[in-house]
Amino acid sequence: MILFQAVIHQIYFVMAGVVALLLLTRLFRRKTRPGLTYDIVYAYAIIPFVLRALHIK
Amino acid sequence: MLLVRRIALLAGALVLMIVGTREIRALRAYRETVVVSAALTSQIPLSTYFDGIKATLMDAPVYVFDSGVPGGSVLLIGGEHPYEPASPVATYVIMENITVTRGRVFVIARANMSASTLGMLGNAYPPFFRIKTPWGEKTYRIGDRETSPLEQWPDPFTFVHYPSTQNLAYQDSRNMNRTYPGRPDGNLTERTSYAVSEMIRREKIDMTIDLHEASLGYPVVSTYVCHQRADELCMMASMILSAEQFPMKTEVSPKSLRGLTHREIGDFTDSFAVLMETPEPFIDKFVGPMTEALMLTGRDEFMQTAADRGLLYADYNMKTGASLDYRVGRHLAGAAEVIKQMGEFYPAKTVKAAWPTYGEVMKQGIGYFLHDPAKADPRRVFLD
Repeated sequence: MILFQAVIHQIYFVMAGVVALLLLTRLFRRKTRPGLTYDIVYAYAIIPFVLRALHIK
Repeated sequence: MLLVRRIALLAGALVLMIVGTREIRALRAYRETVVVSAALTSQIPLSTYFDGIKATLMDAPVYVFDSGVPGGSVLLIGGEHPYEPASPVATYVIMENITVTRGRVFVIARANMSASTLGMLGNAYPPFFRIKTPWGEKTYRIGDRETSPLEQWPDPFTFVHYPSTQNLAYQDSRNMNRTYPGRPDGNLTERTSYAVSEMIRREKIDMTIDLHEASLGYPVVSTYVCHQRADELCMMASMILSAEQFPMKTEVSPKSLRGLTHREIGDFTDSFAVLMETPEPFIDKFVGPMTEALMLTGRDEFMQTAADRGLLYADYNMKTGASLDYRVGRHLAGAAEVIKQMGEFYPAKTVKAAWPTYGEVMKQGIGYFLHDPAKADPRRVFLD
């Protein structure tokens, strides 16, 4: 049980990193919504996922 | 041009991240210094009683003050909810000044160490507060209410309390005072509560006193909350405190409110379970800016307006506020009085321990009773 919890806990950190990478690629490569507002949203939205993946916040 | 703009925005986000997380990282790394009294007999990790929390941030140090004279035993728990700082500070004042002439006293100052290393999401309050002493300032963490997601994540959809199966809010899975009596194969917070319960059972602790703070808009403020086996002790103590020192109420722990120390420690161990609440304006929802000054003085004009309209459950006057000295003094006197009552009702469980009184703290301030680690015997200096 404790082992499963630890594995799930670590998987969530990896998932946070994957979401951060996904947002990063979409910041530079996307076909729809190319405007400045969406650039800002993508750049800003990366922050919490990076902080979580790096075990900072 | 598009690429340059996006790189610039990403660089801006990185700068925001680095600047914005300086305080977060400082809070996570900071450790408080405590100069423990000469009465200390041992300091052991909580994992001594249950190794399921070993090598985690929840493995809090337990300080043991054993007189060597047969008598009762008491456990003081501070910092289950770190954003209620009079709780750990009261335990520090006790640890730095305690003398024990009969029985044993156990102290955990930072029961939820993980929760003390982050701030509360959405509440813009400072990470630290400082207490002035005759030799300089001492800095303490404020912290959150719940275990950090860095230690325990993800949260369940709803938290099912063990063993009652009562459904609680999802975030209560990280709220130490909703996870008692704990579960050896549960989440990290449940395992920590289990370690505390195991400690109480193995050490045959006669009385467990859990120190908290409450908002003034919450009915259970300035109160002992006691398991039904301890209600007479608490009622006597509250009558004496109210007559001689400050207003103190007693509530008997509701049987349907699960996971709290005053219910589960009383049900699942032989210990008398007592929880104390002081009035803390800092955590009320209708106060002005949540600053270090508000934490230390408890003076707030909006709180006064609420008091004038009869919306509070404790006396409040903005001129005197509800200072940290006052709140810590309440905890010191509240713990001393209920321990004394245990000895009056059950002489074999008598614990004779002394620490600064409410009157002394109100006169001299907390800082007077905190010692300089630079000048202390290094064997008595610990980090929490």
